[in-house]
Amino acid sequence: MNGAPYGRWLPWNASEHGGQIDSLIDVIHWFMLILFVGWGIFFVYCLVRFRQKPGRNAAYELPKGAASKYAEVGVAIFEGFLLFGLSVPLWSRYKTAPPPPEKRMDVTAIGEQFAWNFHYPGKDGKYGRLDPTLISSSNLLGLDKDGDPAAEDDIVSPELHVPLNQDVYVRIRSKDVIHSFAIPAMRVKQDAVPGMEVPVWFKPTRSSDEFREAMAREYSLDQPTPLFNKKKAGLILMEDYPASGEPVAHKGDALVNATVEKLLAAGIKTVRAAPRATMEVVCAQLCGMNHYSMKAPLFVDTPEQFEAWKTAQSAEIEIDLE
Amino acid sequence: MSTHAAAQAHAGHDQHGSGHDHHAHSSWWRTYVFSTDHKTIGIQYTITALCFLAFGFGLMLIMRWQLAYPSDPIPLIGGLLGKSLVESGVLTGQGYNALGAMHGTIMVFMAIVPLAVGGFGNYVVPLMVGAQDMAFPRLNMASYWVFLPGGLIMLASFFMPGGPAASGWTSYPPLSNIATMGQTAWLIGMIFLITSSLLGSVNFIVTIVQLRAPGLSMFRLPFFVWAQFVTAFLLLLAFPPLEAAGVLQLMDRVAGTSFFMPQGLVVSQKLHEAVGGGSPLLWQHLFWFLAHPEVYVLILPALGIVSEVIAANTRKPLWGYKSLVYAALFLGFMSFIVWAHHMFMTGMGTTLSTFFQITTMIISIPSVIVLTALIISYHGASIRYSVPMLFATAFLPMFAIGGLTGLPLGLTASDIHLHDTYYVIGHFHYVVAPGTIFAMFAGIYHWFPKVTGRMMNRTLGLIHFWFSFIFINGVFMPMFFMGMAGALRRQYDPEAQLHAETVQGLSRMVSYSAWCLAAVQIPFVINFFRSIWSGQPASQNPWQATTLEWAAPSPPPHGNFAQVPTVHCGPYEYSVPGERRDFCPQFEAREA
Repeated sequence: MNGAPYGRWLPWNASEHGGQIDSLIDVIHWFMLILFVGWGIFFVYCLVRFRQKPGRNAAYELPKGAASKYAEVGVAIFEGFLLFGLSVPLWSRYKTAPPPPEKRMDVTAIGEQFAWNFHYPGKDGKYGRLDPTLISSSNLLGLDKDGDPAAEDDIVSPELHVPLNQDVYVRIRSKDVIHSFAIPAMRVKQDAVPGMEVPVWFKPTRSSDEFREAMAREYSLDQPTPLFNKKKAGLILMEDYPASGEPVAHKGDALVNATVEKLLAAGIKTVRAAPRATMEVVCAQLCGMNHYSMKAPLFVDTPEQFEAWKTAQSAEIEIDLE
Repeated sequence: MSTHAAAQAHAGHDQHGSGHDHHAHSSWWRTYVFSTDHKTIGIQYTITALCFLAFGFGLMLIMRWQLAYPSDPIPLIGGLLGKSLVESGVLTGQGYNALGAMHGTIMVFMAIVPLAVGGFGNYVVPLMVGAQDMAFPRLNMASYWVFLPGGLIMLASFFMPGGPAASGWTSYPPLSNIATMGQTAWLIGMIFLITSSLLGSVNFIVTIVQLRAPGLSMFRLPFFVWAQFVTAFLLLLAFPPLEAAGVLQLMDRVAGTSFFMPQGLVVSQKLHEAVGGGSPLLWQHLFWFLAHPEVYVLILPALGIVSEVIAANTRKPLWGYKSLVYAALFLGFMSFIVWAHHMFMTGMGTTLSTFFQITTMIISIPSVIVLTALIISYHGASIRYSVPMLFATAFLPMFAIGGLTGLPLGLTASDIHLHDTYYVIGHFHYVVAPGTIFAMFAGIYHWFPKVTGRMMNRTLGLIHFWFSFIFINGVFMPMFFMGMAGALRRQYDPEAQLHAETVQGLSRMVSYSAWCLAAVQIPFVINFFRSIWSGQPASQNPWQATTLEWAAPSPPPHGNFAQVPTVHCGPYEYSVPGERRDFCPQFEAREA
C-alpha cells in the first residue's frame, strides 16, 4: 500500500477481516459503474438520436427485444451472488465465530456522553464488578475495587491499546444513550445500546508505527502560524534532534511550545513529525451536543509496547491504592 | 357546502353544476381559506410545502457554513440567531444538532410529503380520474388544517428554551428522552403531521376506487394515479405505528413511563431516575417500520410525475405501462419488510440480517424495472425538450445513482464501513433531492399552466434547470468520497476526526455548491410569481397531452369539468398511426 493512510477513498485497512469488506465494496462499485455507464450510453444515444425533428414522428409501436429482460435478470443474479456469495458468508464468519477465550485479548468498551472508556480485566483475566451506584467523576465506570477482589488489577483507560496480530474481543456497552463504536481503519462498527452488551472482534494486522511512518511530514517551526497548531491530533517527533551530537528533543517527544522553543534555539527550523494517535475509536451514532468530540486514540502495539503499557498502567493502579 | 359536495360526489358526476353555483355564493373565507375544493387545498399544500422546503434548505445553508469554516462566526445572520443556536455568532454543537434534526424533519414530513401527496396528489388526482372533487372534501380540508398547526408547532419549537429538537430526525431514545423541551414539541408536531397524512390517505384511496369517470378502468389510469394509490396505502398502513411510538415517547417524557428506557442509565455520572425496563431498540423498530415505507412515499409520486412528463414529451406510449403498475404495487408491499436494514449495526445476528438483506435486494428489482421502462420509453421517441422534460430527464440518471448506491448499504458486510457516514447522506439525498425534488420541479413546470392558466417562462426555466443540475451534483457527489474515507454524518466539527481531515476540501466544495444551488433558485421564484400574473396565457391543453386533467379548462373551475368526460382509451395514446394529430386524448372518441 502506498500513500497516506487516510485520503479520499477507503482508508488503509488495518485488520484481518477488513480486506474482504474492502473487496466487497470494490466489487459492488465496479458493478454499479458498469450498470450506470451501460444504461448511460443507451440513454444518451436516445436523447440525441430521438430528439424532436420536423417531419419525423415518434413510433407508436414499442421497441421489442429481450435485452432489457436479460439485463434485469442479470442484475438479479449478480445481486444474488453479492448477497449469498459474499456478504452473508462474510457477515456470518465475522459475527458468529468469536475467537476462543485463550487466544484473544479481552476488553470492554463503555460509551458515555462524550467519551469512550476501556475496561481491561487485568492479569487475572477476570472483570471486576461494575456497580452504577459507585459511579463518580473519579470512578467513571463504578468499578467495585473494595468489594470485588477481581477488580483489583483491572485497568480502566481512556485509550485503547491492542496487541498487533492478536485477536481482540471487545464487549460494547453504553452508560447513557446509544453510541456506536467505530474504528474506520479496522472496518469495525457496532452500536453501543444501553441495557445491551454486544461483542465485536477483530485482529489488527498493521501497527500504529507503520501508520505513523506513512503519516510523517516535514513541519516548519518558524512560520507565524505553524501548521501543527491547526492539527487537532497531537504531533510527536519522528527523530532525535539534532541528529548528531547531544539531542535537545527526542523521537516521540510531543511537539508542544516548549519543545519548539528548544528546537529553534538549537537552530532547527524543520522537523519530521506525525500524529501520536494514528487510528481512532470514534462514535458513529448521534449522542448529543459534543458527539463530534467523542473519540479515543487507538494504539496497535507490538507485543513489547503492549506489555510496557500494561505495566505502566498497573503501576498507576498501585500508586492509587497507596 | 362540503357535505353537499360529498353527497354529490357519491351520487355521480352529472350534476356538478349546482355545486358550482353554490360555490359562487360562498364567502371569501370558504373559497380561499377553509375551502373544501381539492384544487384550493392542493394549492394551499403546495405553497405551504414550498415555504417549508425553502426554510429547511435555509437551515442546511447555515450548517454548511460551520462545515466549511468550523467555528468561524456565521456572516450576515450569525448575530440574528437565538442563543439556543449560536454563541457570539458561532453555531454551537447543540445548535448544529438542532438545525440538523429540524432540516430532516422539515424536509421529509413538512416539505416533500405534503408537496408530493398533499399538493400534486390533491390537485391532479381528482382531475386525472375525471372527478369533480375528492370523495370526502371536508376530510380533505381537515387534513390541511391539521397539517398546518403541526408545521407551526415545529417552527415554534425554535423559540423554546433550549431550542428545537436536536436528536436527529430519527429521534432515537434514550437521547431524545433526556433532551430539552424542544423534543416534546417535536413529538406533538409529529402527531399532528401523521394524523394529517392519515386523513389524506383514506381520501385518496376512496377517490381513486370510487370516483373514476365512466370508461376509466383501473388499467386506463395514468401511472401518476397508480403511484398516488400505492402511496396512500403506504401512508395508511405505515404511519399508525409511528403515531403510537410518538405517543409512547411523549409519555416517557411527560408522564414518567419508560417504554424506551432501560434500567440503570447513568447520565453525567448520575443514576437516571427512569424506572427502566424499556427498550431503546423498540423505538427504532417502530420508527423504521414507518420510515422505510416513507422512502417510497417520497419517491413513488415522483416516479408518477416523471412518467406523465416523459409520456407527454416523448410523444409515444410509455414502455411497459403494466409492468410499471405491478412494480409500484410490489414496491409498496416490499417496503414494509425491509425496515431493519437501517439497524444492521445494532447487533443483529446472521439469520435476521440475512432476511433483511434478501428483502432489500428483492426490492431493488422493481426499482430497476421502473427505471428501465422509463429509459426505454425514450427509444423511438420524438423528444420535445420542454423545461419539465429536462427536469424529468435529469431525474432518471440521478435517481439511478441514488438507487445504485443503496446496494453497498443494503449488504451488511459493506455497510459496516459505510453505515452512518456521508455515503449514506449522499445515497438518500440522490434519491430525494436530485431525485424527488427534480421530479417536483418537473411537475410544477408541467402543471403550472393547468393551475394558473398561464405558461412559465422558458428562458428562466432553462437557467434554473441547468445551474440546478450542475450544483446539485456538486453538493451530493463529493459525499460518496467523503463517506468512503470514513467521514461520519452529524459531525459538528468536520475536522475533529483524523480520517475526516483529508476530505475537508470536499466538504468545503459541498458548501459552495449548496450556496450556489440556493442562488440559482432565484430565477425559479421570479418565474413562478411573474408567470402567475403575466405569463403567456395557456390553452386548455398546452402540452397536447392525453390524460383527463387536460380536458378541463385552465384553470379548472369549481367542479372541474364543463361536462363529465367519458374515457375512450388508455392514458398514453401518442403518435397512433393513421391519426390526424400525434396524440389521442382519453377524453375524445376516435373516429373509427
